[in-house]
Amino acid sequence: MTPFELLEPRTLREAAALLASGDATVRPFAGGTAVMLMMKMGVLRPTRLVSLRAVEKQYSGIGAGADGALRIGAMATLSALERSPVIRNEAPVIARTLRTLSNVRVRNVATVGGHLAHADPHMDLPPVLIALGASVTTVDAAGGRTIPLEKLYSGYLETSLGRGELIAEVSVPRQAPRRAAYLKCTTRSADDWPALGVAVVLDTLRETEGAAVREARIVISAATDTPTRLAKAEAVLRGARVDDAVLQRAGDAAASEASVIGDAHGSAAYKRELLRVYLARAVRAALAGEG
Amino acid sequence: MRAEEKRGAVGRSIPRLEGRAKVTGRAEYVHNLRLPGMLYGKIARSTIAHGRIKRIDVAAAQAVEGVHRVVTGADIRALIPDPHYGPAFHDQPILALDKVRYAGEPVAVVLASDPHVAEEAAGLVDVQYEALPAVYDEVEAMTSKAIVHEVLKPAGTFPDLKHFQGRKNTNVALDFRLRRGDAEAALKKADRVFEHTFRTQQVLHVPLEPFVSAAEPGDGTLTIHTASQSPSFVRTEIARLLEWPESKVRVKVPYLGGGFGAKLYIKLEALVAALALLVRRPVKISLTMEEQFYTLTKHAATLRIKSGVAKDGRVTARLCEVWWNGGAYADIGPRITQKSGFTAPGPYDIEHVHIDSYALYTNLPPAGALRGFGIPQLVWAYEGHTDMIARELKMDPVEFRRKNILRDGRPQATGTVMQDAAIDKVLERVAARMDWGKPFDRGSGTVRRGRGVVIGFKAVIAPTTSVAIVNLYADGSCALYCSTVDMGQGSDTAMAQIVAEILGIPIESITVVHPDTEVTPYDMATLGSRSTYHMGNAVRRAAEDARDKLLALAREVGVSVETTPIAEVFRRKYGMQAGNIIGSGSFIPTYMPMDHDTGQTANATPFWMVGATGAEVEVDTETGRVRVTRLVNVADVGTPINPAIVESQLSGAAIMQLGFTMSEKMEFSAGQCTNASLAQYKIPGLLDVPEGMENEAVDAEQKGGPFGAKGVGETGTFGVSPAIANAIDDAVGVRLTSLPLTAEAVYRALRAKQGNPLKD
Repeated sequence: MTPFELLEPRTLREAAALLASGDATVRPFAGGTAVMLMMKMGVLRPTRLVSLRAVEKQYSGIGAGADGALRIGAMATLSALERSPVIRNEAPVIARTLRTLSNVRVRNVATVGGHLAHADPHMDLPPVLIALGASVTTVDAAGGRTIPLEKLYSGYLETSLGRGELIAEVSVPRQAPRRAAYLKCTTRSADDWPALGVAVVLDTLRETEGAAVREARIVISAATDTPTRLAKAEAVLRGARVDDAVLQRAGDAAASEASVIGDAHGSAAYKRELLRVYLARAVRAALAGEG
Repeated sequence: MRAEEKRGAVGRSIPRLEGRAKVTGRAEYVHNLRLPGMLYGKIARSTIAHGRIKRIDVAAAQAVEGVHRVVTGADIRALIPDPHYGPAFHDQPILALDKVRYAGEPVAVVLASDPHVAEEAAGLVDVQYEALPAVYDEVEAMTSKAIVHEVLKPAGTFPDLKHFQGRKNTNVALDFRLRRGDAEAALKKADRVFEHTFRTQQVLHVPLEPFVSAAEPGDGTLTIHTASQSPSFVRTEIARLLEWPESKVRVKVPYLGGGFGAKLYIKLEALVAALALLVRRPVKISLTMEEQFYTLTKHAATLRIKSGVAKDGRVTARLCEVWWNGGAYADIGPRITQKSGFTAPGPYDIEHVHIDSYALYTNLPPAGALRGFGIPQLVWAYEGHTDMIARELKMDPVEFRRKNILRDGRPQATGTVMQDAAIDKVLERVAARMDWGKPFDRGSGTVRRGRGVVIGFKAVIAPTTSVAIVNLYADGSCALYCSTVDMGQGSDTAMAQIVAEILGIPIESITVVHPDTEVTPYDMATLGSRSTYHMGNAVRRAAEDARDKLLALAREVGVSVETTPIAEVFRRKYGMQAGNIIGSGSFIPTYMPMDHDTGQTANATPFWMVGATGAEVEVDTETGRVRVTRLVNVADVGTPINPAIVESQLSGAAIMQLGFTMSEKMEFSAGQCTNASLAQYKIPGLLDVPEGMENEAVDAEQKGGPFGAKGVGETGTFGVSPAIANAIDDAVGVRLTSLPLTAEAVYRALRAKQGNPLKD
């Protein structure tokens, strides 16, 4: 790792301004869990890191509006999110997802904004938040904008964020009365990056299994280049009463529409089989309120 | 009096002497060492697997501000005319000379006061290669046109390697053979013949403390501070390279953050020694976790095993062929090929045995010792084979083993008669713990359950020497000088217990002096579970020598040590608190070399280690995922010196082997390791440890061992892999013959069994 300059601006706007130059060797730094790994491997060699740790406290807050919609500051740590009673009440699927997200040492320092902006498809929260319909608000020299999280990702480690544009806040519609689950599959050690993540959010007419699904959002991660919504699988579930046959059709649709990539966690063919199985299990877990 | 209240220290679970220092961050490690004027070295490594070095351009690296010097193989050769080292072959250059033999081989070193500057500049060393054809597979290496070493250069230490001197056009670094009876003829006569081939993958030790060494030049002397399991060997080998007397080379070893066989022989020591002498300043090299993947690994192996079985289930003949993938440098591979190779037929009483065991050079990172010294690879084959035969014969696998196991008094394949090897007892205890005779819940739906039991054994490497000194001080406290390296296995505590037991003094009053070749006496190395037995015996003898001298002193001054404190004995003699009693002890077991053509000997080893594993698994039939729900490790360790440490050694070894079984595998593309980091090479975490983890040392005694004890560090590794594979077969009826047992491998096997193989 080569020496670099570390700046610690006091405001998010100031941080954005420091990053606006377009110099690719000047990078933001929040929890540092991904940045440090890339620097150690030598794939990132920054001349200057702009730390976001000293920006306004408001960007670390976690709260819910009157409608139950969550507002999560980008600098909130994953541990803070995991422990937040607000999150547990309004979006229990997020709290459950965090329990097996990486490990406690990472969660203690990694931030929500960094987790989302890194755009590594193996991350756990992007599919969950996309399935819940989350959006991010950004800050840049021009002021900022709001982007549906679904539109944030443009490729492997690539986002539509501009230079000098930082995520300031994440808004997540309340989970209830929808049912949600996130299941992931690790194929080596338990704390490995997943081979596949499947997030399912279902709007159902009734509470029991076999209930008709009014609306379904299905997002997969890890097996694809970017978190990917599976429209065909969603269409199979929409209006259907969930049974083995429906889940089989949804699994077939998912396996055919997703651009699944093989890697060290498993071949593409195997991951497509995992997708069929985990999609069905995630839907059942959501309906059973287990996710 | 309750056992814990006895004065005696042996047989008690005394807490680790160094435990507090370690958990409070006060224990001494080489990584923390800083010497005045010290330079840091960073290594530039080969980017190709096999090639001639055309040119090394160090100009850009040398030009980086703060770089002290860039050193290449040519600079080393100017200092040391033949800079090759190795325990079996003098085949490994300190820095690559003329050619590189694996991707990741050290080619140059940048020295700087700032390690970040050295690292930056190391990336600028420009090496041009002429690529040569490479060989990666151990079986292909037998006949490959790609030759890793033009000429073989045995180290001269081992008589069975002498015939390799000067041999050309071969990748074979040892061809061990054992012939007992006539296996070919017996196979022809057998009622049934079974043949299977197994494979194991290349894996890594992953000590959490990566390799680190520092060298400090003096006035005609050199001090090496190193995280090494073999300080005595390091001194001998460095002195040989420099053509200095051993007395001018000092090797000091503090605690190790794990070794597992990686930190043996020469790793970074020759490099830092040469660098320090070249620049006349202290030099330290600390590898990163990632660089460990380019230093030493565990042998991948291909194992073919063929058995003849009589109608009654007796195995009458066995033919074993083993190809060990040694990588680019032999390290200790040829010894694994022989010393473990001779146990390839397993702990079974078989009249006719043929073994051919080959050490091969390939263009992969070198392979050497790793907790088990080749035994887990062999057990993987023979215990899979054993279950597959039992299944075919429709015999209960435990019953089949009972019928065939080697019992005390019977000759092993070498002809050595078995003694103090509780093979039957260990098998019975694991079967009992598994409730083998009782009905078993086989699961339902998509979760199927199965179980497996296996047994393995190992002969401790022989003959090796240990020496110890006990220094009894005038206040009755004492120091133990011993070169056994405490790398986490608890040897300091066990050795101190032996001294406390014999001298009858509290363990708190004993200091264990860590290896320092200028202070502590010779020890062959801390390896192969040899320390408890060999050093334990040397320590026992040293303590007995000190006790005898104390008794003589007491007689001389007219007191009894039964009633007089030790300090008073000294005062009587010297008139004040003064003087020492020095006791010394050394130990080398008896041994008889094997016949070169037949592998036969009447005394192959001073002791046998026996380990059995029972596994229960749940297999998800929709995904192939395997959950190991219970892992039972039973061992013959003789009589434990410290039962709690024995238990943690058994469970630690089993968890390590669990990683090699389920997830760990070095992946290669054109000889380049593609997952050289802990993010991509996954060792087990706490969540991967089976819920039911049981360890047991059976009631046993090793005659000739200190207080009946023998080694334990490796025993827990022996059976884990085949026990789990056998349990998977039991659960879902598929047999995996290659490691690791990934979910995808299980899933593909399930699909193939259904006649619907997964298409890519």
